[in-house]
Order: sequence, then structure tokens, then C-alpha cells
Amino acid sequence: MSRWKNYVGKFGLASTVAATALALSVGASSAEDKKFKIFLSLSYSGNSWQSEAANVVKALAATPPYDKMVEIKEVISGADPQAQIAAYESMIAEKADGIVSFPISSTALNRVIKKGCDAGVKFFMYDATVTEPCAYNISYITSGFGENTAQALVNELGGKGKIFLSRGVAGNSVDKRHTDGAMSVFKKYPGIQVVAEYYSNWDDRTTQQETAKALAAHPDVDGIWAQAGEYGAIQALMDKGTKLVPMTGENSNGFRLALANPEFQKRGLKGVSAGSPPAQSGYAFKLMMEVLTGKRKLEPQNIEYPLPWVPAADVKPCAGQKFENGCNVFPEGVVPSSFVTEIFNPTLLPELSLQSALDGKPTAGATIQALPADVVVKAGNEPGINCQKCEASKDLYKLSKVQPTVK
Amino acid sequence: MMDALSRKSSDKMQNAGGKMTENAFGAAAPDYRKTAKIKRETITACVVFGLTAALILSSRFVSSALGGWDLVGTVLILASFLIVVSFGQGLVILIGGLDLSIPALITLSGVLTASWIGVSGDGSWYLFPLIMAACGSVGAISGMGIVFLNIPPFIMTMATGIIVASSALGFTHGSPRGGASALLLTLMKGSVAGAPLIILFVLLFCVLAVIIQSRTSLGRRLMAIGSNAKAAVLAGIPTKSYIIMAYTVSAMSAALAGMLLVGYANGATLRMGDGYLLSSIASVVVGGSSILGGRGSYVSTIGGALLLTTLGIVISALGVPQGWRTVIEGCTILFALLLLRENIFLTFSRPKSRH
Repeated sequence: MSRWKNYVGKFGLASTVAATALALSVGASSAEDKKFKIFLSLSYSGNSWQSEAANVVKALAATPPYDKMVEIKEVISGADPQAQIAAYESMIAEKADGIVSFPISSTALNRVIKKGCDAGVKFFMYDATVTEPCAYNISYITSGFGENTAQALVNELGGKGKIFLSRGVAGNSVDKRHTDGAMSVFKKYPGIQVVAEYYSNWDDRTTQQETAKALAAHPDVDGIWAQAGEYGAIQALMDKGTKLVPMTGENSNGFRLALANPEFQKRGLKGVSAGSPPAQSGYAFKLMMEVLTGKRKLEPQNIEYPLPWVPAADVKPCAGQKFENGCNVFPEGVVPSSFVTEIFNPTLLPELSLQSALDGKPTAGATIQALPADVVVKAGNEPGINCQKCEASKDLYKLSKVQPTVK
Repeated sequence: MMDALSRKSSDKMQNAGGKMTENAFGAAAPDYRKTAKIKRETITACVVFGLTAALILSSRFVSSALGGWDLVGTVLILASFLIVVSFGQGLVILIGGLDLSIPALITLSGVLTASWIGVSGDGSWYLFPLIMAACGSVGAISGMGIVFLNIPPFIMTMATGIIVASSALGFTHGSPRGGASALLLTLMKGSVAGAPLIILFVLLFCVLAVIIQSRTSLGRRLMAIGSNAKAAVLAGIPTKSYIIMAYTVSAMSAALAGMLLVGYANGATLRMGDGYLLSSIASVVVGGSSILGGRGSYVSTIGGALLLTTLGIVISALGVPQGWRTVIEGCTILFALLLLRENIFLTFSRPKSRH
């Protein structure tokens, strides 16, 4: 049996190497004397979220004047912390100025990050965080996705009912933070009964199959609390029959369109779309560039990205390629249903368009706009997530987007 | 010639689990014992299907909503992808190989189906066989590498898998576009006279696949190659082209599963094939096939796929934490494998084994 494991392990590693080689060849090549050497370090790729986040950074790096100032290389190291450690090591050896990265582990990378900081490399982490204090963490994780969506679901259900929890990746700190936040709300309501809890790996198809399994045992479910992959949960409900139930989920285009669909609303779909925005990567990159060019003085710290919050009533389709006039979803057929809508932010990232998120191309005519001077919002402490040996803030699971409407 | 050979190999198969050494030369004295009249495959199939049925019936105790025809329907639909994939994996395992490129080919087919045919592309039905052929040729390349360059199947299929997966990533820039055409949606979600279309489709697939594997010369020759490749060459079987054919069929069944998945999830993702590598190997092995090749029947593999899927559903309804769920799943698979060993009681009553 161990032979199988070996082979499967090698498969993962080798695919990583191949993907890295592929990614490296994409990097910029035009030679100019003194350019900032920036690395974009991804752990895994292969879902819409990861590639959008990476494309946003690549598009910004190609937008004037950064196109003349920055040499960016993308490295994809796979879901194994060891591989990302090796990737960081070689970036430090190549004398990187800055590394903008999605870290695969909040603790395993600390040593190599410290080594890089000592060598003068700036680390900017987006979405996922590290506990090494010399890195900048730019993340929505402290903004209360779990507790706010849980309260919204409880409100829709009137404080009682059977619910499913569609979680992320087992053993992942982000999944745990979200679920702990949600459970802090659900536990207050004895009428709320969690009848099924499953790991869907933040993937639409897995969510659909796992939800279908749970529905076989509990066809009388009243609501679903989901992390990313939520569109799969709606599909599973529709496969089963005509009844839909209130549910909360993240920011997929399919989910937002469904929330706003009058026919689905009639069948019982209510809820809110919130969660992790790929735009965090762009914000992290712009902050890093302002620090590197000396335009902004900023010590390494934990920075909060605001939680996107779109209830069904606020869903508004966009006419064009940009988020304009408060629109927040693209019409069917423009993007795949698994596309994560939160790529734009009119204040922080006015340079982007749909093309930037899909292909990593700069928007024609756009130039980099400076971030507002007072933009940085300090994030609360969360032990094991963004700090070591620290106290959790007292109002850790405080509701910020929604208030209880039921007792 | 062919018949004699296949009879010999099936003799060997019947005894493979037990005292193989004594009967390895096949043509021993005819065996008139009652148990010898029942084929080993039949026993395996009965055990696997029996376990699945028992699991479905007893799931009533887990949740009152389980245990009915509803559950059977859910199992059949969720298992349909695995059933299709396992056919190809089974053929490759039958000849003593292993196909690690299956997840990549599922993804490739899914991405191509979603982007080339797309939502409104029913006019371009001819692209379905084209995508099949594209995936099939990847399988053929794997087969050729194995046959002509003597690259071990693991490494060869791993390499083609990586190449295919990376090109899918490059082709899509990470976000596969498009969705399922009306034809695929009808296949996955439609029904005829109350029966879901996909179940009928998979039934038809199973019947064809069983005929191919156990009633045609292709199936018998693959089994002969798996039993003893040298003997197969001596018997005049063009082993090289048959091995290439097995990998081609495996790639094409992965392609079909990819298309079905696009219909099911109304779109493609780059990780859509991930869950089907180990589970396809597991269905084949739980279905009683030898991982070393030369022995196995597709009927039992179907049973294996159904058993694994049912197990997943029932365990997810247990409401126990994830860690325990996986432990229970592993134990049940071990238990099923133990039941399949006809000499299990002998093993336990024997005073001391040699090793």
C-alpha cells in the first residue's frame, strides 16, 4: 500500500514542478536597469479564486507606471508547505525585493519568512495569513464571515430549523475560524439543529455531491450555511426537486444570480453572499509597491480587508466589464458560475476590469491610482491565525453586518 | 487456441486466492466439487452487491429518510461517474497496469466540453466524438510509451497526466469558461417514464461494457495478457496493440465521465477529476480484481463503485466528526476485502503462517 502512496505523492510533486515551470515561462522579460524584483507565490492553482487573485496582481504589475518599474514572476508551488518553503528560499536567493503570496500554512513558513525579512525582503500575504510578525497580512479573515452569515441565516429561519454546514478543507485554519464564528451564533439558538456537517473543499462540484449525500438523509432541511462552493449546494437542491431553502454562501457569480432570481425566491431561496474576495491580492500588491517606493510608511502588521456583504435585495447585474454604479454580479454567460465576483473595489482598485481578472491583462488606458492615505485598517488578533502567543481580542465574534432579529 | 488459453487462465483465476502453486499449470484433474461449479466472479459480485443492498436497507437505522428508493436513486446518480471511470481503470488493471492520468483526462474533457460545446452548442454535437478522440489519443500516447519505450505504466500515465493537467491550466488561465449544453443537461437531469435518463444511460453503458470485457475476444485477450504476457505473445496475440487499446479505452471512459460531470455540475472546474483516481482503483479492487492483473470482472467493479458510493452517503449521515468518518470508511473497505477472500476462515484456523 505504501507503494501507492509514494506514487501518488510523486504525482503531486511532479505536477507542481511542471506547473511551476509553466508559470515561470510566463514572467516578464524585458530588461531594464533597476526594476523591483517581485515574486507572486501561489500555493495551489486550479480554481477560479486562486487564478483571479493571481491575474489581478499580474494585471496591476502591467499597468503604467508599474509596467516599467516591476519585474514580476509567478511561482505555483502546490498544496505542500515544503514546496512553498523551497520556493521562498529560491526567491530570497534571487534577491527579491518583495513577495506577494497566498501562504499555504499559517505556521509552517515562519522560519523562511524570518530569514527573508532579515535579508530585506518584504512579505505581503493575502487572504490566508501567517503568524510570523515580520510579514504583512492583508486578509478579510478577521472581518467575521462565519458569525455574520450564521446570524443572517438564523434571522431568515426565525431562530429554528434543521441546517447543513458545508465547510472548507478539513484541518485548515481558515475553515476552523469561519466555523467557530458560525457555531458561536448557532449555539445561542436551541431551535437550530445542525443535522449534517461535511467538508466540500471550497469546490462547487464537491459541494454539490456532498450536499446531495446529506439531502438523501435529511430531505427536510430548512437552511444551509456554506463556505465557498455554495453554488453547488443550490444545484444539489434543484436536482432533488422544486423546494429551495434559505442559505448563505460566498461570492460566486452563480450564487448571486440565483439569489436575485425571482423564480428561485418564490421557491424559497433567501440569503446573503459574503466571504473571501480575490481583490485582496491586488490591495496587498499596491500596498507593497507603495511601501517599496517609499510613498507610504508602514510597519509589518495585520491589515483587515472589509467583508463583502450582498443580501439578495442588493444583487445588481453589471452592464459592462467593470463594477460601476454599485453593480456586483455579471449577467449569465459572461463569466462561469464558479467565477468569484469580488474582484473589484472602486476605492482600492479602480484600475481593474473583467479582463484583468480573467486573463491578467491591464485595463486599456488605466494608470495606477494611489491608495487613500488613511486606508489601512488594523485587524484584531487571532491566535494561531495572524499572531503567535497573543491574546484573542475580546470581541472576537462580534457581529458587524447584521443584528439578531429573533430571540 | 484462444479458448484453451482463456480456459486455462480462468482455471488459474479460480484458484488464485487459495493454493495457487498446486494448480498453476492449469490442466490438472477436473474438479468435480460443488463449490468449483460456481465461478469466483459470481461469488464476488454477490458479496459486493449483497453488502451494498444490506447497507442501503440498514441505513434506515441511521436516518428515517434513508433506506428507500430515493436513496437508491441518489446512489445510482452519484455512482454513475465512478462506474464509467472504473471501466477504463479496470481494463488497465486487468493487464497489470495502472492509469494515473484519469483525473487529468476527466478535467481535459470537462474543460473542452464546457468551452467548445458550451451552453448553446447543441448544433455542434459532432464535437463530442472529437473530444472523445482527443482524450483517446492521449491514452494511446501513454500506451505507446509503455509498449515501445518500456516506461513503467505508473510513470508514463503520471507524465501524460501532468502534461494534460498543465495544458488545461494554461488553456483556461485558471477559470474554465462555458457550461453544459441542453443535451447534456437533459441527459443528467431529465427522465423518461419516471426513471432518470442518466440511470438508463449508465445501465446501457454497463451492459455494453460487461459484454466488451467478458464476451468479446478483446476482453479475453486483455485478461490473457494480464495473466501471463509471455504466454499471450506465444499464443499469437498482438499484445502491443492490445495494451495501447486498453489505455485508449481508459482515457475515453475518463472523457465520458468528464462530459457527464459537466452536465451534472453545469460547468467545469480544474479540480473536477481529483476524486476519481483513488476511488476508481478502490472500486476495481473492492470488486475483487487482482491489482496485479489477469483477474477481474466488470460486474463486480460496478458493485464496488456502488458499495463505495453508498458507504459515503451513509457515513455522511452518521453525524460523526470527519476523522471518525474516514476511519469508519477505511474499516468497512477492509472488511469488504476480507469477506472477498474465500480462504479467510482457513487463514484464521491455520496454526501459524509461513511469514
